[in-house]
Amino acid sequence: MAYRPSKRRTYGSEWVHTNITPMMNLMVVLIPLLLTSAEFVRLGVIELNLPPAALGPEGKMLAELPQEERRKLDLTVTITDRGFFISSSLAVLGGLREGEPSIPLLNGEYDFPSLSVKLFEIKKRAVNHFPDSDRIILMAEPEVDYQTVVSTMDASRSIRVNGKVEILFPDVSLSAGIF
Amino acid sequence: MAFIPSHRKRHKTDTGEVRLQLTSMMDMFTILLVFLLKTYATHGQLIIPSQDLTLPTSAIQHPPELGLDVTVSSDWILVNGKPVEQTQNVASQEGHIIPRLRDELLRYAKRAVKMEEMYGAKFSGKVTIQGDKHLPYRLLIRVMATCGQSNYPNMRLVVYKIEG
Repeated sequence: MAYRPSKRRTYGSEWVHTNITPMMNLMVVLIPLLLTSAEFVRLGVIELNLPPAALGPEGKMLAELPQEERRKLDLTVTITDRGFFISSSLAVLGGLREGEPSIPLLNGEYDFPSLSVKLFEIKKRAVNHFPDSDRIILMAEPEVDYQTVVSTMDASRSIRVNGKVEILFPDVSLSAGIF
Repeated sequence: MAFIPSHRKRHKTDTGEVRLQLTSMMDMFTILLVFLLKTYATHGQLIIPSQDLTLPTSAIQHPPELGLDVTVSSDWILVNGKPVEQTQNVASQEGHIIPRLRDELLRYAKRAVKMEEMYGAKFSGKVTIQGDKHLPYRLLIRVMATCGQSNYPNMRLVVYKIEG
């Protein structure tokens, strides 16, 4: 038993505190650098290409294309405050009753998923019969929100079915019909 | 006398020096670093969204491009940051073309064509339109019609990307 202080030894290992100052150095430099180049909000762009001389006699945005041999589909979705009206050169897709929108509002909101589903059905039937089956024309009442128009473009561009993404009508044109 | 180990010294916890506990701060910094590495963007910001409007959201995957910047907020229409027309004046106009916007765009188009002749940089006719998400459709159509008539037919609508 070592009672004298000079004879005592400390047993057990010393807990060595690693010097973390250099690592803190690195953090203080890296974190502000990455903060300035981090993107928290990503931007995207929707392309809408008009042929250069765009305005026709009634103020429609579409250029008048030369007459083609095969009949064109001219699929049109009209956004009104009661819902969506889907029409084409062949017919207007009727709603439940006469004069009702093809896809009425759901709980007061626009029903984009149903629009996608309906467009998917039309796409399946139209894809081999019309030359312009990639094209859709959007029309809206004057007071419709920009966000609604953009969301309609999203809904008509593609649909996710059974986990796979199906392309619907990626070529979107805007029409100035109702004023 | 047998030396008795001192009880008092056993309870002595104050070593006389203060040690700064940085390990928890290191933990936080490491997590922050990992998160920021994940959101690191290499392509920089080509388009600076304007402060006084909220862009609509879309599931589109297209990256932004460079072009003439037309900003339509609820008060003013600006071209490359310069105010050109007040939005409420547009509502009272007849027809689809906004005259002051068209004049401004034609000036830019003329300058771009001149640059094309001098330097060979092709005039792309691209215009990026930033609009507040609550803009009425008729204003949007008028702005787009004006762009189309002013040698800028390739329009790009700027949106915030969301998961589709």
